[in-house]
Amino acid sequence: MARRLRIAIDYDRCVGSGICVLTAPHVFEFNDQRQSSVIDPTGDPEELVLEAAHGCPQMAIFVEDADTGERLFPPPGLE
Amino acid sequence: MLVQDDLLAPEVVADPYPYFARLREEDHVHWNQRWGGWLVTRYEDVVTVLRDYERFSADRMASLVLELTPEDRDRLSLLINYFSKWLVFTDPPYHTRVRMLINKAFTPTSVERLRPRVREIVDELLSEVAHRGHMEFIHDFAFHLPVIVISEYLGVPPEDREQVKEWSDETSRIFFIRADEPDRRERSQRGLQHLLEYFEPLIYDRRRHPKDDLITALVQAEERGDLLSHEELLATCTVLIFAGHETTTNLLANGLVALTEHRDQWELLRDNPSLVRPAVEELLRYDGPVKATFRWAKTDTELGGKTIREGDRMLAVLGAANRDPRKFQNPDDLDITRTPNPHVAFGHGIHICLGAPLARLEAQEAFLALSQRFPNIRLADRPREYHRTIVARALKELWVEW
Repeated sequence: MARRLRIAIDYDRCVGSGICVLTAPHVFEFNDQRQSSVIDPTGDPEELVLEAAHGCPQMAIFVEDADTGERLFPPPGLE
Repeated sequence: MLVQDDLLAPEVVADPYPYFARLREEDHVHWNQRWGGWLVTRYEDVVTVLRDYERFSADRMASLVLELTPEDRDRLSLLINYFSKWLVFTDPPYHTRVRMLINKAFTPTSVERLRPRVREIVDELLSEVAHRGHMEFIHDFAFHLPVIVISEYLGVPPEDREQVKEWSDETSRIFFIRADEPDRRERSQRGLQHLLEYFEPLIYDRRRHPKDDLITALVQAEERGDLLSHEELLATCTVLIFAGHETTTNLLANGLVALTEHRDQWELLRDNPSLVRPAVEELLRYDGPVKATFRWAKTDTELGGKTIREGDRMLAVLGAANRDPRKFQNPDDLDITRTPNPHVAFGHGIHICLGAPLARLEAQEAFLALSQRFPNIRLADRPREYHRTIVARALKELWVEW
């Protein structure tokens, strides 16, 4: 059973690059303002969610284990 | 109406912010007769234009081609062909394909592993000048750092760096709209031609002898066939080398001016090195390297109460948006602790600067080292002159002492 993820977007940082939307299209979607929004944290495998978070040029995506609260992205010191 | 409405007037080149402020308050979507297009100066409108790539195209070559005579189009066909494959001048779906291909190499976590090497280069460059007590910051430091970093990352051998930089500078003549140069398009094309001829054998070499560099990564994408054509590969090499040069230089120089002119902020950074991340964001906002970025309307539309016609040229004035009091408190103050700082110095939307994480890293390391090694650095008593361009905020020289 895949672990549940909590995904948060920092809207002061999100510029709508669209990288996450292209990387994990069933998790992220553009909202009306053309910024990213999470439509379904379970929409794509965890690997793709983390790839999307890594790919964000603005470090605007925060991912943690929803049950343990463990930070999965960004790595310590880089947020 | 505005008394002075010229982007290239001497006082506007020297300090564009009063002009930007007047536009933003008096006519925020403004038809500039001299330039022949719309100047968009409020944060909200700039963000709208840059997010909406369906209404506002970045395809600069499509726009340029319409302005050229058939003879000029023939003469400049090489330039048009390759520039039309530069990420910065393209729309989806081409832009999406190539950006996604290369994005991985420039993410914040990917470039973070370059930090020790960047720190070393900064240290070497500063050690060379430390005993002098003064330097011309641009040519002694700010030119070299980004050139060395992008050359090493891409895979350009050290002995070729200077030459490649010269060609890159030639190529940039069209991009930064040095409006007073009548043959800038031809010179730009010649620079590009040299770069293309330079990269051909390098690409050939990496095909046979792969290395741990970006050219090799791009060659491998090309070899998969469906990812990148040979022309696209060449175009991408040239845009990466080019984009890694001038803008970071200007970020460093403008940043140093801002910090030395706000002594309290310099001392705050000097005494609190951990503030370097927000400090660099604030330097980008306060006086970033790119004043404006180009778009054109793909359709009749409306913006800020004005009717924009299909084909109209537009400048999203980043430097004006970054000082918009509707978005930033005390926008004309330099505050290196400002958080959040949602500036648009790197642009916004799908064209957000690919190299932003690398530029940030270089600037962080540079200002960290400068504030620690030259805590008393000050501007020399010399006039400061900026290049006469619409897009770049670029000093010609910057003399400093310590």
